[in-house]
Amino acid sequence: MKIALAQISPVLGNPERNLKLHLDYIKKAVSRKADLVVFPELSLTGYTLKDLAAELAVNPRKSPTFKKLLEASRTIDLVLGFVEEAADDPGLVYNAAAYLSRGRILHIHRKVFLPTSGMFEEGRFFAAGRQFRPFDTGRVRTGLLVCRDFLHYGSSYCHFAGGAGLIITISAAPGRGVDEPRSPGFQTSRMWELMGEAVSFFSSAVVVYCNRVGYEDGAVFAGGSFIYSPFGKLITRLPYLEEKFEVIEVDLAEIGRARKSWPFRRDERPEVIWQSLEKIIRENHED
Amino acid sequence: MKINLPLVVKTLTGFIREETRKAGFDRVILGLSGGLDSTVCTYLAVRALGPRKVLALIMPYRDLDREGVAHARKVARLLKVRFREIDISPQIDAYFAAFPTDNQVLKGNKMARERMSILYDFSAREKALILGTSNKTELLIGYGTIHGDMACGINPMGDLYKTQVRELGRHLKIPKEILVKKPTAGLWPGQTDEGEIGLSYEELDLILYLLVDRRQKPDEVVAAGFERKKVRRIVEMITRSEFKRKMPPIAKISGRTVGHDFLYPYDWGK
Repeated sequence: MKIALAQISPVLGNPERNLKLHLDYIKKAVSRKADLVVFPELSLTGYTLKDLAAELAVNPRKSPTFKKLLEASRTIDLVLGFVEEAADDPGLVYNAAAYLSRGRILHIHRKVFLPTSGMFEEGRFFAAGRQFRPFDTGRVRTGLLVCRDFLHYGSSYCHFAGGAGLIITISAAPGRGVDEPRSPGFQTSRMWELMGEAVSFFSSAVVVYCNRVGYEDGAVFAGGSFIYSPFGKLITRLPYLEEKFEVIEVDLAEIGRARKSWPFRRDERPEVIWQSLEKIIRENHED
Repeated sequence: MKINLPLVVKTLTGFIREETRKAGFDRVILGLSGGLDSTVCTYLAVRALGPRKVLALIMPYRDLDREGVAHARKVARLLKVRFREIDISPQIDAYFAAFPTDNQVLKGNKMARERMSILYDFSAREKALILGTSNKTELLIGYGTIHGDMACGINPMGDLYKTQVRELGRHLKIPKEILVKKPTAGLWPGQTDEGEIGLSYEELDLILYLLVDRRQKPDEVVAAGFERKKVRRIVEMITRSEFKRKMPPIAKISGRTVGHDFLYPYDWGK
C-alpha cells in the first residue's frame, strides 16, 4: 500500500484556499500512484480557530467542499481534518477526522481528548467525541485518531482491540522545548515518536502520524510526520518544521508476520481489561 | 537553560518570514541600538529575509550612548542592511523644556515612546513590519516601556532569556564587543541593566527559569540556593508588571465583548 503524507501548512480560517491546497496535493499523490493521502488535523480550516470553529463547522454530507473531496476520493483514499457540525444534534461542533474512499465517507472520528490547558483551549470551542471505532477500508482494518487522542494510550488500545492493522493519527502539534542541544527536534517531537514506536510494536500495526507545519499566533507546528512498521521500526520521518510531501510504500503483509512473531493480538483479552475498567470506574465514581 | 541553537534559529527565522508575509509585508523594520537584543534580532532578520529586506533605524538621543551608535553602524554595515540615523534630541528637548524633570525614568520612557512613534511612522512609509526585540527576561520582570520599546508587529525573541540571547548571538557570530559589553537601556550615561535591576542576568535568568519554566514555588527556589530577598523581589516584579503583558481590560456589559468572548486568532485568514 502506498501512503502519501502531506505535511502542509493550512491557511487559518480560509476553507476555500485549503480546499485548493488539498486538491493540489491529491493530484500529486494520484500521479505518484498513492493509495491513500493523509492530511493533518483541521487541515481544511487551520488550527487556532477559537470562535471561528463554530462558524466554519460543516455537515460533511451537505458541504460543497466535501462534495469536491468525495469526487476526488474516487481515485484515491483521503484522510483529512475539519470542523464537523453534528447533523443530528445542532450546535455541537467537533474537531473531526474523515476517511473518504470511492466517493463515500467511510468513517468520521470525533476527537475525544480535547487539550484544554496551558496554550490549548479546545474544550472551550469543541464538543468531545465519545468513541474509538475501527472500520474496514477494503485494504486493512483502520483506526483514526486526532492529535492528543494518540497520547492517551487507551485510544490506540481500542483500535488494537478492535482489530486495526493501521492506526492513523492526524495532528497539529506545536513544537515545544528546545533545551536539549543534541536532539534534532523539539522535546515534544520525541514524545510523539516514543508513542509511535511503542504503539506500532505492541499493536503489531502500521502507525501513521501526519503533523502540520507553519505558524499560527506565535505557535510553531513541528512537522516530523512519521510511519512505523508493525515491528516497531521507523519507516520514514519527514523533516521538522518544513512543508513536505512524501509517498511511502508500506507492506501490509508485515501486520500478519508481526502478529505471528509476537502474538500480542492473539493473546489479548479485552474482556478482562473491560471488566477491570468497569470495576475501577464504578469504585472511583461511587457516591 | 542551554538551548538547541540551530533549531532555535530555524524556528525564529521561519517565524519572521511567515509572519511578515501573513501581515502583508515583505520587509521588516527595527530600532537598532547597537545592544545585544537588537543586534541579534537584526542578524535573525537578515537570515530570514536577506539584507535588502531589513531597515534598521538608529535613533540616538544626543551623546547618551555613543558606543551604542558606533556598534549599531558597525552591525548595519557588516550585514549590509539599509539603515538610517534619526536624532531624537530636538523633539525630546522641546518636550522637556515645556515640562522639565530630573526623573531619568520619565525621560527614558519618553525617548522609548518617541522611537516607537518614529518606527510606526516609518513602518507605514516603508511598508515594513516592526520587529520587537524584547526578550523573555525583560517581558517577565516588566523591564521595558509600555507602548515604547515593547510595541511591535511581531516579536521573535520574547521566549528567550537574556543569557540565551547572548548564546544565540555567539552562535550567529555577532561582533565580539557587543557580546561582551554590559547591557544598558541607555537611560543615562553609565547606566547598566544589572545595576538598575540589582541582579546579574545570570542569576536573574536562573531564578526566572525555575519560577516560570520549571513551575517551582518561591520557597522551592530559595531551597535551591537563592537568596530569599532576591526571589521575593523578582516575584514582585513579575506580579507588578502583568499590565504590560496584556491588552487593557474592557468593562463587560453586553453578551459578547471584545477580549472576553469575542475571540478570534491573530492570524485570522492568513
